[in-house]
Amino acid sequence: MIWFTWRQFRTSALIAVAVLAAFGILLLLTAGTITDLYAEVAACSSDCDAVTENFLIQVRDSAAGTVYHLALAVLYVAPALIGVFWGAPLIARELEAGTHRLAWNQSVTRTRWLAAKLALVGAASAAAAGLLSVIVTIWAERIDSAAGDRITPLVYGARGIAPVGYAVFAFVLGVTCGMLVRRTMPAMAATLAGYIAAVASMPLWIRTHLAPARHETPALDLDSLAMMGIRQDGSVDVRGGDVANAWTVSNQTITPGGEVFHGPVDPNFCGPGGGGPERCHAWLGTLGLRQEVVYHPDSQFWTLQWIETGIFLALAALLAGFCFWWIRRLA
Amino acid sequence: MTSPVLRAEGLTKRYGQRVALSDCTLSVPPGRVVGLVGPNGAGKTTLLQLAVGMLSPTAGTIEVVGGRPASGAAQLAKVGFVAQDTPTYANLSIADHLRLGARTNPRWDQRTAEERIAQLGLDPGQKTGRLSGGQRAQIALTMAIAKRPELLILDEPVAALDPMARREFMVSLAAYTAEHRTSVIFSSHVVSDLERVCDYVIVLVASRVRIAGGVDELTAGHQRLTGTRRTAADLPAGLQVVEESHTSRQSTFVVRGGVPVEDPTLTAEPVDLEALVLAYMSQAVTSPRPEWEATR
Repeated sequence: MIWFTWRQFRTSALIAVAVLAAFGILLLLTAGTITDLYAEVAACSSDCDAVTENFLIQVRDSAAGTVYHLALAVLYVAPALIGVFWGAPLIARELEAGTHRLAWNQSVTRTRWLAAKLALVGAASAAAAGLLSVIVTIWAERIDSAAGDRITPLVYGARGIAPVGYAVFAFVLGVTCGMLVRRTMPAMAATLAGYIAAVASMPLWIRTHLAPARHETPALDLDSLAMMGIRQDGSVDVRGGDVANAWTVSNQTITPGGEVFHGPVDPNFCGPGGGGPERCHAWLGTLGLRQEVVYHPDSQFWTLQWIETGIFLALAALLAGFCFWWIRRLA
Repeated sequence: MTSPVLRAEGLTKRYGQRVALSDCTLSVPPGRVVGLVGPNGAGKTTLLQLAVGMLSPTAGTIEVVGGRPASGAAQLAKVGFVAQDTPTYANLSIADHLRLGARTNPRWDQRTAEERIAQLGLDPGQKTGRLSGGQRAQIALTMAIAKRPELLILDEPVAALDPMARREFMVSLAAYTAEHRTSVIFSSHVVSDLERVCDYVIVLVASRVRIAGGVDELTAGHQRLTGTRRTAADLPAGLQVVEESHTSRQSTFVVRGGVPVEDPTLTAEPVDLEALVLAYMSQAVTSPRPEWEATR
């Protein structure tokens, strides 16, 4: 049965290998640029912020910058493609064409038929996403460490082992949708919707609960404000600088009493008649404001990656279990 | 080997409110070529899909060559199935299909399969998506035969074929059944398909089995009586009327019961299989319908 599954899957697998190879070549071609630009950062021994910043700007303006963004997109799109083009049609196309009636009447039980398909194409999904993520993670290592942002939501899902979890989940989700809907096109649409919902809900609602976030309330450093805006009515939004090399979940300015600070400001110091930002900062400094930040430091990157990947693999296993139960009920 | 190849008891399949097969009890002896006939929608496909385990019964039991349908690889190996519309993998070659058969069936007969493909004049490297409906049906039949099943089940294999392909298919099926002692059950809504190959008939109408039996027993057990106009009640006792038709002066009855009729006003004739099957099929059509249907 493995042979036959491979025979059916061969063309798709070859296409995937070709696409992976082309993408790999693109990474190889731009890897040299990053190494060259990074030389300055590598040579730097103290006070390297400006050098690092310069490196990031130079990378952004080079071809490597384009490839960097392409790689981000590829790693989120690849699991979706796997779910839509490998998962959804796997059973749905057989049901649509009626070929399941040919397959199920060879001397192989439906369960084994399904097991072969899930195992082979599932393994290919994991391998493709894993390989893709490994080459991108290695390629982008210097950019990620310079930017200190691999744990921030967008980059996080395109590094490490998370893409493997996404891909395997998307694949089994596709198979399940195909079996339930029994038609390829609607199954593809349902798979895409399910994948987007699942992957987007992680950074939005779930990921922050997977490892204990740091909660800190240092004095507000007025020299490194991320943002300050004063409105007509005198109310104000002050946001202190984000924690470096971390994923900031929330960042508020609070009064000594613990309430969120929104002003109002004293118009004699701040605003149109206040006489400039220095006077306003000095006035804010007298209020005893504190910054309340909740964040996940970079050191939690792998903990979060393992847990999140585990969750997606567990979901995939549940769906696969459902498929084995449901296939006995199919006609 | 006298145990039945198919035994059903109270077999029923419902889809929600709709009854596809109702309280079907059958016992088909081995070594027969069984024709399953009935109008479209009578439940033929449902019965055959229950027999190969594509469907599970709502109620009742079915046993095929001594086992529960599709209960395992060993059971699957005993039954060959050619599904309606004879599906094949359009983008795979004939050789790929044969390899699928060879790799999944323990008793696969590759030589027979290759010989049949050669006889049909087909190139094994050709993709089945480019074949005609008749050729695809032959591929499906080849796969089912090369599996060397104890029971071969075919669901309307010729329904979608043109008359030429239809005849070729029936000829190759007849050749196969003559050569092998395999039991065969095949369904058709065309009664004339039967006479050429069947020696056992099951008539299924409106989800119920009307009659089942060997062709010789059935034709011997029925007769056509013609005589002056009369009602069925005027016939000699012990005869069961299957079909009656009347003109202004004459009445014709197809009756069950092969006993000689001693009434000189009636002429008795044998009934051939086709007429007999049609009589049973039309009986269902003219029989009184349930009230809810009549008042619609």
